[in-house]
Amino acid sequence: MINDKNSQKIVDIIQNWARKHSIWVLAYGTGCGAIEIPPTMTSRYDAERLGVRGAATPRQADVLLVTGYLTTKTLKRVIRVYEQMQDPKFVIGFGSCTINGGMYYDSYNTIKLLDKYLPVDVYINGCMPRPEAVLAGFGKLQEIIAEGRANGAQKYKDNLEWYKANQKKIIPSLLTTDYNW
Amino acid sequence: MKDIKAKLTEKIKASFDTVSEKDYNGNRLDFHVDVKIIPQILTFLKVNLGYIHLSHISCVDWLEEGEFEIIYILWSPVEKLKVFVRTRINREKPVLPNIDMIWRQANTYEREMREMFGIEIEGLEGAEEFLLEDWQEMPPMRRDFQTEEYAEKTFWSREGREDAIDVREEIIKRSREEIPDFAKKYSR
Ligand code: SF4
Repeated sequence: MINDKNSQKIVDIIQNWARKHSIWVLAYGTGCGAIEIPPTMTSRYDAERLGVRGAATPRQADVLLVTGYLTTKTLKRVIRVYEQMQDPKFVIGFGSCTINGGMYYDSYNTIKLLDKYLPVDVYINGCMPRPEAVLAGFGKLQEIIAEGRANGAQKYKDNLEWYKANQKKIIPSLLTTDYNW
Repeated sequence: MKDIKAKLTEKIKASFDTVSEKDYNGNRLDFHVDVKIIPQILTFLKVNLGYIHLSHISCVDWLEEGEFEIIYILWSPVEKLKVFVRTRINREKPVLPNIDMIWRQANTYEREMREMFGIEIEGLEGAEEFLLEDWQEMPPMRRDFQTEEYAEKTFWSREGREDAIDVREEIIKRSREEIPDFAKKYSR
């Protein structure tokens, strides 16, 4: 058993190093940006050489890639998906729509600030970001994972009430489960 | 094309009185009809005249005139002619006859119209929440719905966007084009 601080640190470093090289991305496209994922994943840009691969279900995935605008209706599903994912989990906000609403800034049905509803670890800007930018985003994510700074999931647990209140504001009928993380 | 249109107009006018037509270039012909005879005229066009395909139902909000205009777009694969059946209804109390027994797919359009414009469809099947979930405001496609205001108060804005400039001024300077009057109203 490890119980002194220094050996825990070493374990963390090794864990983070391993996590960094095995990123499973949930194949869940929401906005138009999802169209940049196939070239990123396939032979042209080949994200797999960085350890980035697609996962079929939320429970097997590490990264939730929110690829663009989210309607309130989709947001409901995305929250569900995010909560089903197992630790460690990270969120990448993809495209300007997730950052500030992008070209849908005045839409009645799309959210503008993703980080009010889910903890975002990395934002990739652009409308839409090219595969190079996506890879740079993954690179950044790997960097902060290795440094142990990718603690979005922890943030979500700590501020669950705040996130839930924001989510409820636009989705009154959100079915919330009691989590006992 | 001319005689097909003339023949069609003649046939329609022989069966219905309150119909006026408007001709367009190409394969398009418009009929303005009263809302009461909508199911009859559509059935007539489908069964007797071969306009078997309902391409679209669209709704226009004439806010200034206090009316909604509903447009049914039909297509005949034999005559290769598009027929627009237009009707106007009151904006305050919009009620429309149901036509989903003529074309089953009309149901989807009608449910959407009901939700987006608040038009009541008599005897509509599945008249419940459709595309919007948990919507509590006025129907969002009505022109007096203040979309930007609503978005502002519901979804917050990222700080730092307030000084975004209107790039159209610059584009106009470069291309020496005019902004149409109606568009000026929306400039930021
Ligand atoms: S940022 Fe651009 S490309 Fe991405 S979802 Fe929004 S509009 Fe589409």
